Amino acid sequence: MTNSIDEIRDTEMMFVIGSNTSEAHPIIAMEMKKAVGRGSRLIVADPRAIWMAGIAEKHMQLHPGTDVWLLNAMAHVIVTEDLVDHDFIAAHTERFEEYRESVLSYTPEEAEKITGVPAQDIRDVARLYATTEKAGIYYTLGITEHTHGTDNVYALANLVLMTGHLGKPSAGMNPLRGQNNVQGANDAGATPVFYPGYQNVTDPAVRKKFEQAWGVELDPNDGLNLNVMMKELAKGKIKGMYVMGEDIVISEPNVSQIEKGLNQIEFLVCQEIFHNLTTQYADVVFPSSCFAEKDGVFTNSDRRVQRVRKAVDPPGNAREDWRILADMARACGYPMPHYENPGEIYDEMAALTPKVAGISHERLDERPRGLQWPCTDSDHEGTPTLHQDGPIVGKAGFQPVAYRPSDEMPDDEYPLVLSTGRTLYHYNAATQTRRSAGPVAKQARNFIEIHRKDAGKLGISDGETVRVSSRRGSVEAMAMVSPRPRRGCVWMPMHFAESRANELTNDAGDPITQTAEYKVCAVRVEALTPEPVG
Amino acid sequence: MSEARQLPEDELFEVEINGRTCEAREGETVFEVAARQGVEIPVLCHDTRLEPAGACRVCLVEVEGQRRLQPGCAWKVSAGMKITTESDRIEKHRRVLYGLYLADHKLDDAGLPVETANANQLRMLAEKTPPLQLEAVEAPRRGRPEDENPYIKFDPELCILCARCTRYCDEIEAVNAITLAWRGSETTISTAGERGLLDTSCELCGGCIDTCPTGALIEKKAPQILPAHAEKVRSTCNFCGVGCQLDLHVVDGKVAKVTSPPVGETVNDGNLCVKGRFAYDFVHHEDRLTEPLIRREDGELHPASWEEAIEVAAKGLLGVKERHGSDAMGFVSSSRCTVEENYLMQKLSRTAFRTNNIHQCAAT
Repeated sequence: MTNSIDEIRDTEMMFVIGSNTSEAHPIIAMEMKKAVGRGSRLIVADPRAIWMAGIAEKHMQLHPGTDVWLLNAMAHVIVTEDLVDHDFIAAHTERFEEYRESVLSYTPEEAEKITGVPAQDIRDVARLYATTEKAGIYYTLGITEHTHGTDNVYALANLVLMTGHLGKPSAGMNPLRGQNNVQGANDAGATPVFYPGYQNVTDPAVRKKFEQAWGVELDPNDGLNLNVMMKELAKGKIKGMYVMGEDIVISEPNVSQIEKGLNQIEFLVCQEIFHNLTTQYADVVFPSSCFAEKDGVFTNSDRRVQRVRKAVDPPGNAREDWRILADMARACGYPMPHYENPGEIYDEMAALTPKVAGISHERLDERPRGLQWPCTDSDHEGTPTLHQDGPIVGKAGFQPVAYRPSDEMPDDEYPLVLSTGRTLYHYNAATQTRRSAGPVAKQARNFIEIHRKDAGKLGISDGETVRVSSRRGSVEAMAMVSPRPRRGCVWMPMHFAESRANELTNDAGDPITQTAEYKVCAVRVEALTPEPVG
Repeated sequence: MSEARQLPEDELFEVEINGRTCEAREGETVFEVAARQGVEIPVLCHDTRLEPAGACRVCLVEVEGQRRLQPGCAWKVSAGMKITTESDRIEKHRRVLYGLYLADHKLDDAGLPVETANANQLRMLAEKTPPLQLEAVEAPRRGRPEDENPYIKFDPELCILCARCTRYCDEIEAVNAITLAWRGSETTISTAGERGLLDTSCELCGGCIDTCPTGALIEKKAPQILPAHAEKVRSTCNFCGVGCQLDLHVVDGKVAKVTSPPVGETVNDGNLCVKGRFAYDFVHHEDRLTEPLIRREDGELHPASWEEAIEVAAKGLLGVKERHGSDAMGFVSSSRCTVEENYLMQKLSRTAFRTNNIHQCAAT
């Protein structure tokens, strides 16, 4: 997030796209609800009539995967009506003219045909966004989990730049991170292209710094992205893996291919708190610790570094993950220091990472609201709002983007579009939430939301078990005839190990990030005991 | 999040609280200005996250020029206003008011409101200002004992009808699952059609419990008052990316309860969702992995010592590297783990295995 969660309550307009906020980020949704109560104008763009759409001034119910059309058409309105922020564009951006040309063909009328959103709504929302001072964009995986996810993000960034909604309180570009420490894991360098703090592994000067600090020669090439890693695993090219805290067999797309790879892998180490579908393939399983059993920090969506504190001991002989990792490194021949506590590990990272150089466990312990990076030295109080002095480096370039259809479109054989996601009551592989009574009482088994007309045509009634199939696999789930999905679209959560949505999903990835297209694939839904129709 | 903001100079005016002059601004309530001055006005129905209701009458103050006492939580200040928060008149009012509340409340042997897991604020007030002794009344207020939801319990004998819970459900969580129902002495907290919470729009966030001042709403999972030796450990929730702060209440080595830090103190401003507040059962679940496991020749995983497990794992991974090179290695780190652990995982893959094939689970 360029801005902070607590700025939301003072915002004047929220454009929420591809974010089921009240379920995936309930406490951020509370801030949004509060803002609406105070008169902030809420626009929701989502293929489903999610809860937030119910309190929105307008719900733009676009066809899944047509975001670029919608956003470029909004840009079209803003440039043709000259609602752009000329001063901001001149001071902080480049390539605006090229971008301006690129959106001229995206008329709201054409956009209506492709997105299903009325042209007048597109015009109204574009004008509202461009002319509201404190207008913020909020998005989640509905934007990124596409083969054109990067384009979607560029299209949003273009809107932010052309209207100058950057570097101001209660505005900005705000991706809401899905997991407790996605931000922190990326910040810490758990990515194939960056060392900690987004320092490129291919930059010789950076590499030299880390080689000196760590005392070994480092790999000069970018590594494999997770999605590519999984495909290489399926091909038998990845032969040894160490997997910590992820059930790849439920969480990654097109899982039958991954299972094929795991069947032939030479050596697999898993580090987990529970058995899951992946540990079935492991050669060694390390019992590790959950958040309540160790010290450290998590970094949340608004770049806020906050303490995690050990409250209880890990069960039995289970150990803290940081101890296991240090032991493993030493056993593998690398002289990892004998850290006394995670504070020392953080200090080592901070010394190599300018963005968080001013953060330490000691400073965090004195601050119940944590510290938001960038926080560059020990006198720095953190950065709630990014880019207040313009882009961090140089000028921000507009990135013209052209619409590309999703990888797999519906056809006669697989006529429905499936999107997947999270619900309020469960969390990812649900190894935690399915061990609690409330989430289980609310959602005991997998379901698929389907429009009543589609259900009627297929002879499916609410609550009946149906078979859902794609080109990659097939699962059973309970039909939930619901007013939420568009006609022709269905939706399924990803949480259920016995009925895995990721048997169905498409692992085609975005060309830049390789993020898979969890939000669009073609499926067929059938009653298990077909009744004659009509 | 409700940190005191800098007031623009031109909007400020002066008021007097208990004879002391202080600054205030249009739109502020007596309660807000007093709180900034460190003057505590007792409240029961007020929660700074909610619109003032003026329902409980505990916060009544004297406002010069007003014949009646006025509710400090709702009364807006104006320039030159003179306010008194402690006086014989107010004391007398409170004694009668507390007496009325106590006449319709579950009392202990000492005649005080019973202590509850929520820390009964009516009890605290009655301890400070002795209530007038009135004859007990039996209000025919109904609960919903048949409600089978696993988390939230309502005891009508402890309810003072301040409606903090129903207002929280409306104004903050905005699902309107619970409501004031019936009329007169039968008035109670209920749901549409007196259904169980699982059959309503309730999302089990437990905010109603958090805001309840008496303990009429309590956690079914942790209904008892925690023992004195319970520890409170501040930490960060391990579910979504909001970063809510939690207080883990630890009794005898177990997490016995999770609550939100006070309003205004942390990013979540006193709020939590169903997962953060209630879904911690996994921590002490019997299915937890407790021993290192090694796959032996029979093809099954068997318990082993740490020394052996680490040795076998290291040998296994190094063997793959020797046979097929670093490019055949893959490391999957976790956005569920801490920053420090992610740092160590990438350091391990980059140093011991010389590969950048390291990513984390939320990457795709």
